[in-house]
Amino acid sequence: MTRSPIQRAPPVTLLAAGLLGVLLLAAVLAPRLAPHDPRHAVPEDQLQSPSAAHPFGTDYLGRDVFSRVLFGGRRTLGMALLAAGVTLLPGLAVGVVAGAGKHAAGPGPWLDAGLMVVMDALLAFPHLLLALVMVALLGSGTTQIALAVGVAGLPAYARVTRAAVIEGLARPHLIGARAIGAGWGGVVWRHVLPGIAPTLLAFAGVTLSWAILNSAALTFLGYGGDISAPDWGVMLADGRAVYRVAPWVVIAPGAALSLTVLAINLLLNGSRR
Amino acid sequence: MAERTRRRWPVLRLGIVGVVVLAVVAAAVVTAAVMLRDDEQDEGNKIIYGLTLNPSGFDPHIHISSELGIPFYSVYDTLVYRQPETFEIFPGLAEDYEISDDGLVYTFYLRQDVTFHDGEPFNAQAVAANLDRITDNDLDSGKARRLLGPYTDNEVVDEYTIRLRLSEPYAPLLDGLSQVYLGMASPRALAEYTKNSYQWHQVGTGPYMLDEVVPGERIILRRNPDYAWGPLYYAGRLPDGTVDPVWEANAVDTIEFRFYTDPPTRRDALESGEIQIVGELLPLDAEALAGSASIQTLNTRVPGMSQLFFFNTQREPTNDERVRQALVYATNRTAIVDAVFQGQSRVAYGPLASNTPSYDAALENPDSPELSYPFNPDYARQLLESVGYTDSDGDGWLDQNGERLQLTMVFAGWNQLPDVAQLIQSQWREIGIDLQLIQAPDFPALSEYADEGNFDLIALYDFGVDPSILNGFFLTDGARNWSGFSDAEVDGWLTAAVRESDSAERDRLYASVQRRIMERAVILPIRDLTNVHGYSVALDGVIFSAQGWWPLLQNFQYSP
Repeated sequence: MTRSPIQRAPPVTLLAAGLLGVLLLAAVLAPRLAPHDPRHAVPEDQLQSPSAAHPFGTDYLGRDVFSRVLFGGRRTLGMALLAAGVTLLPGLAVGVVAGAGKHAAGPGPWLDAGLMVVMDALLAFPHLLLALVMVALLGSGTTQIALAVGVAGLPAYARVTRAAVIEGLARPHLIGARAIGAGWGGVVWRHVLPGIAPTLLAFAGVTLSWAILNSAALTFLGYGGDISAPDWGVMLADGRAVYRVAPWVVIAPGAALSLTVLAINLLLNGSRR
Repeated sequence: MAERTRRRWPVLRLGIVGVVVLAVVAAAVVTAAVMLRDDEQDEGNKIIYGLTLNPSGFDPHIHISSELGIPFYSVYDTLVYRQPETFEIFPGLAEDYEISDDGLVYTFYLRQDVTFHDGEPFNAQAVAANLDRITDNDLDSGKARRLLGPYTDNEVVDEYTIRLRLSEPYAPLLDGLSQVYLGMASPRALAEYTKNSYQWHQVGTGPYMLDEVVPGERIILRRNPDYAWGPLYYAGRLPDGTVDPVWEANAVDTIEFRFYTDPPTRRDALESGEIQIVGELLPLDAEALAGSASIQTLNTRVPGMSQLFFFNTQREPTNDERVRQALVYATNRTAIVDAVFQGQSRVAYGPLASNTPSYDAALENPDSPELSYPFNPDYARQLLESVGYTDSDGDGWLDQNGERLQLTMVFAGWNQLPDVAQLIQSQWREIGIDLQLIQAPDFPALSEYADEGNFDLIALYDFGVDPSILNGFFLTDGARNWSGFSDAEVDGWLTAAVRESDSAERDRLYASVQRRIMERAVILPIRDLTNVHGYSVALDGVIFSAQGWWPLLQNFQYSP
């Protein structure tokens, strides 16, 4: 095996980190950076190609696509981060409890089995389908989408965490530690978690990528609530009617979406080395 | 030697495996082809028609969707017809009719040569069975019952004569009887199926017979070879009553309807030849297709209500007439029609589309701004200020007593209402009005907002040739008076107009109604409704009924 990928990794990782930083910063600073109000429609200026006044052109209602992409990032990334939070915290808790419980005394194995039955039942549904069903139940809106996408990602994260915890606990020195009377909680907290942190972190990145794509998919399908609020998924959906004459309307949000996910994935690749 | 044999074997084995794999692949391809062909019987001259909506139900006696009429207007005949261009009443299943002097009894003399698709004879008992079904309260008829107005009961005079009795004179009765909702169904089929299952087994007397329904996927109609009783403007018969051979050579034998609910997919389906005709093209797609060598477009104006928003006159702040007037002045309708509809329809000035009988053109007069509401944001701001709305805290939004002027607009996804709503939101933002948009996912959800009065503006719509569609919306106790509007004089005019048979007098009454509605700004009109169809150049004779939505499939000629 050659070492060259490892040697090449840092620049790509740096680039990815930089890109992600720029995208996040653009989203956070959108109100200051955007040249126009993203909802301000000038129908006489509909579908203008990119120019100095409108770097990414205008959409069917004559709104500035650049401003909408900036504000759209706020909404899309905000939703995805919230969703990732909804996945990670309970997912981690469930995974640790189940993983530690598997070989513990007392009710541990029962707890593990019970939790995993629930998680496996949820895992039986495709990610997006589960999120769709939940949004249908919760109603349209960004919070609802974040919740739905978050819960849909939960079983996978819990599963991965549980597997990592079980594997970590099986290491000889930890078996030894338990043999001399160290408590379960202490062992997991002090010795297992630090060891499996890279795995959990990497999968958190994957979870975030999923959350971005699924949130955008749900707003694309029209579950975003406020229809005039810019959002990458909504912009792609709106653009389908006009992409033949005004490709910039879909290219801009599409590129923003792909670049964000790409940057996260490259960053993960780099950090795993 | 051993070397060579060993080397020859793999080649041989590879050959055998190759042959087997090829055979399996070939078998699979043949099987797939056979399976895909499945019951492809002789369908004759066939077209595929794209529907734009999958209605919640297809039984015209029960359901209200305009879309259901696209296939079923040709499955049924009606007692009378309306000529597509002149809107004149034409004989249909009734050869002739008489109206009593007091306007309370309609006597219909029926054709004697008509048979239902299932072989049942058409006669007065059949008409009675249909009327009894529609007026049965258990049927929960959405529109058909409403079209019968004050109808009370019927009397079968003889096999081919029936009387309909009304409790009061009702001028729009013949108009109602010309619509698909009052199409005549086979009594045997009605008896054979339940209220809910009949919609998948409909049997009429029309030029097309229902052959197959796969809910949500397809509806297949086949030509009725015995059809010889259509109205005069239906193609297919020579003056002596025999089949026109020229027409028959290109008549469409089979029509399959499929659903294209997502507007951007319609143009692709047309251009790829997947379908031969579809309605409600996106304006940009219609414009692009106008230059196409293989697709032609047809812009049909639909009479009835204009595309409009009702104000909620029952809750603040739109209960104040001046607020409503200000909002109409604050809306640049010309900009909306030009941008969203690419100028393919007309700006609307009142509750009726301008091609509806009794439309009052005085509403458009620029010299009467109290009717025509030319775009005037400054005046809108003044009006709102006179009510007490100013931007007292300088945040760009109007407010009163510390409360921001915030309004909620509810609409569904069709007719490009989301685009219209977003433009209005942006236009009103300019003068400091905060408009919240709510897109209802479907008609039941929209009706719920309407029934609960949970809106400041709501987009609802109905169509029809007779101006009496206004009654349900603007009478104080109208079934669909969603705006909660009440005006004693309007009630008087509307009530008198449906009893009035003199058309000049009806025009006068409805003109008064339209003016009052605009003076009091009960609605925000946007545009006349148009339906732009695209269809293959191989398709000819594409024409729509007076109601604008329903094609006369009998007149279609297809020569691929």
